[in-house]
Amino acid sequence: MSRHPAPDELLLDYAAGVLAEGPALAVALHVALDPSSRRVVQHLREVGAALIEGETGMSAPDEAALEQALARLDRVPVEPPQAFAAPSPGFEWAPAVLRPYLAGKDWTRAFGGFDEIRLSPPGGPHRVSLLRLAPGRGLPVHRHVADEFTVVLQGGYTDRTGNYGVGDFAVGPGAQEHEPIADPGEPCIALIVLEKPIVLTGRWGRLLNPFLR
Amino acid sequence: MAFAALFRHYAPRIKAFIMRGGADADVAQEVAQEALVMVWRKAASFDRNRASAATWIYAIARNKRIDLLRRGVRPPIDGEDWLAVFSPQEGGADTSISAAQTYTRMKELMGGLSAEQLVVIRKAFFEDKTHTAIAEELALPLGTVKSRIRLALGKLREALAREEGER
Repeated sequence: MSRHPAPDELLLDYAAGVLAEGPALAVALHVALDPSSRRVVQHLREVGAALIEGETGMSAPDEAALEQALARLDRVPVEPPQAFAAPSPGFEWAPAVLRPYLAGKDWTRAFGGFDEIRLSPPGGPHRVSLLRLAPGRGLPVHRHVADEFTVVLQGGYTDRTGNYGVGDFAVGPGAQEHEPIADPGEPCIALIVLEKPIVLTGRWGRLLNPFLR
Repeated sequence: MAFAALFRHYAPRIKAFIMRGGADADVAQEVAQEALVMVWRKAASFDRNRASAATWIYAIARNKRIDLLRRGVRPPIDGEDWLAVFSPQEGGADTSISAAQTYTRMKELMGGLSAEQLVVIRKAFFEDKTHTAIAEELALPLGTVKSRIRLALGKLREALAREEGER
């Protein structure tokens, strides 16, 4: 069990399939790396199925519809199970769920001393990025004006709210300022999902704000 | 034949589920047919260690409904192959309890939830609503909805702990 699991309401939203793409990707990565949250999500899916199974007000089975479906069956090929895409070189740390997003992408050096891969198209409701911080490096001090979700995929970081390792899920600390610093060891790689632009508050904040450009 | 039995059981349920999303009866019937044809076609991908058949079938139906309602893009893991997210390399060692058994237990578990806890869970699964949307609809503070969800999931975790104990 990770020290910082995703909050229950997000696990439920995820299990029900109602999250938008960016937050759903963040929870999916957490769930892939955290056996405890994974079991909760698996069980919630069973709960959802049991609810539908117990659905009342159903019509009787429709034999005409069955005949149509049987006719369709004759026309559709049987699909073999899908294999997982192998990770691309350099992206071995990426869980399977992230791999389709990484096709053709590479790190770019962001102004502020960290590397970034932007995963979301511009103009969407969320900004979804992978950030890579060398050990001991920090992100500029910033505060949040909306939800921020962070999932650690490699290494770890520490800010005033605690220490976060692989699989840990952090919800932006709201109006508080925070300054995450990468832990010693491997570079820290994390997925960051921002609902709206965040506001940098340091001396150079407004000039350097990498999230507003 | 096996498909006929599958269809007679699931088609009316999927149809009712799709109609809850606002579709009319003809559209819902069509979606139920498509979903069950897809289930049959993909049966080779079904892994009973990871989910009960009902859960897998309803996941496919849910995705058909999402396609129908075109409510934005979802990541591929939430597509019909959502089970693929639990790849063996990421540790599938926690699936020794049979999924069918879990499903039965989850049904029992729901009987132990309060009406207020259950309504939040139902709305998430039936009405495609996030906890934020549910709070707005019920005119409840967000914190109240979160605490109902946490209480409900607390019971789920207790049930999980009991399973561990019996293993």
